[in-house]
Amino acid sequence: MKNTKKVLIKPSTIILLVACALFIVFIPLRYSGYNLMLYNTALIYAIVVFGLSLMLGMGGQLTFAGLAFMGAGTFYVANLCSGRWGFWVNNSLALITTPIVTGLLGFLIGSVLLKLKGTYFTFSTIALVQVAYSFYQNSRPISGGPDGISNIAPLRILGFEFNNYKRWFYLLVVLVIIVALIIERIRRTRFGRSLAAIRDNETAALTLGINVYRTKVIAFAITAMLGGLAGGLYAMQGRFAGSDMFTFERSTLFIIMGMIGGINNTFGVVIGSILVAMLPEWLRSLQRYLQLIYGLSVIVLMIFMPMGLAGIGSEMCKRIKRKITGIHAKKALEEAKK
Amino acid sequence: MNSILRLDGLDKRFGGVVAADNITFSVNPGTVHGLIGPNGAGKSTLMNLISGIYTPDKGKVFFDEKDITDVPPYERARMGIARTFQAPRFLQRSNIRDNLLLGSDLVDQHSYFKSFFSKQGRNFESELQKFMKMADFEIDLDDDISSLTYGHRKLLEIIRSMLAHPRVMLVDEPAAGLNNKEIDNAMALLNMAANEYGIGVLLIEHSMDMIMHICEDIVVISFGKVIATGKPKEIASNPEVITAYLGRDTDD
Repeated sequence: MKNTKKVLIKPSTIILLVACALFIVFIPLRYSGYNLMLYNTALIYAIVVFGLSLMLGMGGQLTFAGLAFMGAGTFYVANLCSGRWGFWVNNSLALITTPIVTGLLGFLIGSVLLKLKGTYFTFSTIALVQVAYSFYQNSRPISGGPDGISNIAPLRILGFEFNNYKRWFYLLVVLVIIVALIIERIRRTRFGRSLAAIRDNETAALTLGINVYRTKVIAFAITAMLGGLAGGLYAMQGRFAGSDMFTFERSTLFIIMGMIGGINNTFGVVIGSILVAMLPEWLRSLQRYLQLIYGLSVIVLMIFMPMGLAGIGSEMCKRIKRKITGIHAKKALEEAKK
Repeated sequence: MNSILRLDGLDKRFGGVVAADNITFSVNPGTVHGLIGPNGAGKSTLMNLISGIYTPDKGKVFFDEKDITDVPPYERARMGIARTFQAPRFLQRSNIRDNLLLGSDLVDQHSYFKSFFSKQGRNFESELQKFMKMADFEIDLDDDISSLTYGHRKLLEIIRSMLAHPRVMLVDEPAAGLNNKEIDNAMALLNMAANEYGIGVLLIEHSMDMIMHICEDIVVISFGKVIATGKPKEIASNPEVITAYLGRDTDD
């Protein structure tokens, strides 16, 4: 085997880390109130899209279901922390248990839906989102029906109250980083490799000792956990839970976020989520054409860069690397001639 | 000697096509068995029946004298039945390391949870080095799998199977698309698997050169039936085998 010199940190990673640091420092300085809340919401979306990245990016299974579980998380927290059932649960406890509850729900639902394969599975998740939406819209005892649930107690962790958007921003940044690290770790462990094997060829995956069905169900449950966590955070930040959030259109937005950013790239997921979530703000004057812009940019990206914006980035890095090694090789050749 | 894999009267039909008809033979540890037959004879079907992708209509598969007919394919792989494909199947968008780790994952058999917290692929690189010496080409584990030539990918798929510490290896046409040097390397690897690691190798191959060179034992099938078994020399002079390959004279 060749002994290549291991570079400890790649230059592209440094650039990305600097960009992240700038984002974390700059955004709360520049924005406050409503505008900062939009960024916070984008970060919450990113957590849902990480779930999609696991299912679709690593495992090749297109699912719309993330949003349905986000709804489950939202109403779970809303009911426990608004006192409408006659009792209050400590809201950090409610938040911590949200992914566990939605994860179990996801495991059960996934066990059924993943009996279907490929496109049929995808269709069943569309149905799930539709059913969940109409449930959230109409079931008063659970979702408050058309009125929604208000008066959700603000999040308090160990006496520290998250009562403004700035504090929420830092909390969400920390959570997104934790989720991103977990996803990156999964990519490098047996679970991630198994998902990748399923994406590329299910038969080959089976002969490599991978329980295809079980692996997909676990990935689906993790998607549900992340969706639920995002939902819980969403309810607590806005201190209101309404069913309008959980339409099928919204779940297509998550797919677009993943596709534009780069579905199998951790930085791409965050970039895509922020970009798509902020676009309506940035292009306020073009509001009417927003759907058109989404649609066209997805088409253009899929044709020219199927791995999304992150794909463009890594492709450029590769080209630069090739150029540098090319220059080195040329120099070595010239020296050899002398 | 006890066989490691035994097929007992396997039948498999696809509609009206009989792909396997009462197939019975066994594979011994530390031996390279050749499985030959004209195109469409049912060789690949047999591979799928052994690895569990298909279930037989009738008959049983025994692994280490245990009935595994109803065991799902991923369990069979974990028990020690490894397989390569005619066209190598790798993770196209991953590097060589991840692709090879898929093989060595089968040795640790960590749960996903345990794998999350443990180091990936213990002892994997020293073992790999040994195999790469036989394969006789260089790789950089961080390179994309697509940077390798077709021949090297085929050799690497054999190596991936060996990294899983199997007890039986099903190898589907390793020589197709390889140059002469690479064919020699493939044979070196398969010999190593059988002689040094005691793996029972079942080899499908059209290259008679390769079959005659490394197989101790050959099974010939035609139209889903076993028509001959024996040592390479016996097979080469068996009139039924010659007929199956060359066709019968219609005037006969």
